[in-house]
Amino acid sequence: MGIEYLILFIEVFVVFNLAMSMSAFCTWVERKGSALIQDRIGANRAGAFFEIENPFLAKGLLTARVFGILFVLLGLSLLILQFGVVSLSGILPPQEVLGGVLIVGILLFGLSMVPFVIRGLGILGVINTLVCDAVKALTKEDFIPNGVSPIIHSLAPVLAALPIFLAFAIIPLAPEFALFGYQIRPQIAELNAGILFFLAMGSMAVYGVALAGWSSNNKFALLGSLRAAAQMISYELALGVALATAILMYGSLDLYAMVEMQGNTWGALQNPCMFIAMIIFFVAGMAETKRGPFDLPESESELVAGYFTEYSGMKFLLFWMGEFTEIALFAIVLALVFFGGWHPLPFLGDFVQFPQNHWASSLIGHMILMGKVVFFCVLQIVIRWTLPRFRYDQLMDLGWKWLLEIAFINLMVLGALRLAGWF
Amino acid sequence: MIGLFAVTALLAIVSAVSVVALKNPIHSALGLVAHLLAISAFFAMMDAHFLAAVQIIVYAGAIVVLVVFMLMLLNLKVESRTKGENVLSVLAIIAGGVFLLVAVPVVREAMDSLLVSGSAGAGGTGADMVAVEGTVEAIGRRLFTEYVFLFQASGVLLMAAIVGAVMLAKRESKPQPRELVHGES
Repeated sequence: MGIEYLILFIEVFVVFNLAMSMSAFCTWVERKGSALIQDRIGANRAGAFFEIENPFLAKGLLTARVFGILFVLLGLSLLILQFGVVSLSGILPPQEVLGGVLIVGILLFGLSMVPFVIRGLGILGVINTLVCDAVKALTKEDFIPNGVSPIIHSLAPVLAALPIFLAFAIIPLAPEFALFGYQIRPQIAELNAGILFFLAMGSMAVYGVALAGWSSNNKFALLGSLRAAAQMISYELALGVALATAILMYGSLDLYAMVEMQGNTWGALQNPCMFIAMIIFFVAGMAETKRGPFDLPESESELVAGYFTEYSGMKFLLFWMGEFTEIALFAIVLALVFFGGWHPLPFLGDFVQFPQNHWASSLIGHMILMGKVVFFCVLQIVIRWTLPRFRYDQLMDLGWKWLLEIAFINLMVLGALRLAGWF
Repeated sequence: MIGLFAVTALLAIVSAVSVVALKNPIHSALGLVAHLLAISAFFAMMDAHFLAAVQIIVYAGAIVVLVVFMLMLLNLKVESRTKGENVLSVLAIIAGGVFLLVAVPVVREAMDSLLVSGSAGAGGTGADMVAVEGTVEAIGRRLFTEYVFLFQASGVLLMAAIVGAVMLAKRESKPQPRELVHGES
């Protein structure tokens, strides 16, 4: 009994840290990536190394630093993968040696870039994003405006961020494995309702946003939160129906079982209906995170900053943490439900078979999943910095007149086809 | 487990009372949300995960959100006492009392039978019994076999409600004929 609680505690610890670090990663990509897109320097004022350097570096050097960081990361992850593969096979077959040489080469190339990486201040803004922003937010004045209910004003950011973190409880992070005689499934809660819990937590996140605007005693904040609440309620429907399509396809509500059913072919590629459902889920997910072209609730040209106008310090940061964690959450669910989770190949899943129940194949599976998640996080952020904002009537038209109808028709078509025994 | 139950039950009661007692409509709505979450926690404790999730999605996530949304749109201030409220509260107390009179024996009977069957089983509690009933599979099977008529009927009812809502929203306010207004005044 005791050891099970220990395993559960470790799982909660790992998953919480994963959520936090994904949120930090998204923050970094958001700040530095947007700087790259807009040809600015971005966050780089804080440094870990006491080296005074002109922060406005030449552009070629910036590119060198970006590639340096990327190569080091790639090399390190390949090294871990290699470690897993080697410990799986026990011996080193020739192609593994070749792979090892390749990895060492990439690592050396990356390491040779390190002087460029650390030459400017602060390793591409990582220190700035992870340490300085947090310290700044924690030490700022916690401002509560006049004439508001202070309890609800303080409760709102918690209500906005907490459900997103709770939703991670049903996320399976890797295939299950046996360690020291214990069968471990890296998923905190194996609920019978499964993915419905994700939808439930997503619908609870509306309260934080709505109450933030209402309790701010500010017309801009109220308008922003009204927009946010209407938007989230509208797009929740399309999101739910798209997930219902996936549930109909897999015949299960459990995310782990869904991933296991994509061993041969990824979910989105199994049939056209699933592909359409994937697109609807992605668009509705971007609208749920209130980002990208859907950031009307915080449109700074109209509403100052929308629903969190009157927030400062850590409370302000909590809204952003909730938002970035939600990006990661949607990326993980997208990868798990539609993109095969920890299965590496879109087709021909039988081609690559990892041993069952081994911790190393679990580790590799986790890294494959995280690679997909990172890709979708970056994709969402790039879309956010690329597309212009919708008009509000366009937003409502897209949600109610297009996405929802397409999702319903898609669901019915898939149901009919499955009844006819096609899929 | 009993401690968890006690805490949740206390939370449910306190939040239910706060819905009625608090003056500010938004605070009342929040109390309702807390109450619904506590009910959902009860479902989860009985391993009825599906009911727990649906409780949150439908009630806390959709219906009360709309209530909060409307309250925010109307921007209601702290409610003021109206004249008819005393009569209403007397009526409410009578109705509540009658409901208690009916409900308490039913609940006691149910609890007694639960305790008897629970102790008859191999050291099982009430939760084990309900566990099979609350799963998605069990509920789906029941809905589409035993209760299929009621299920379809409620679907038709909801459809009628949606059509009615659309009709009400789409109705154009006709401009009052000028001479009629004159004739009345």
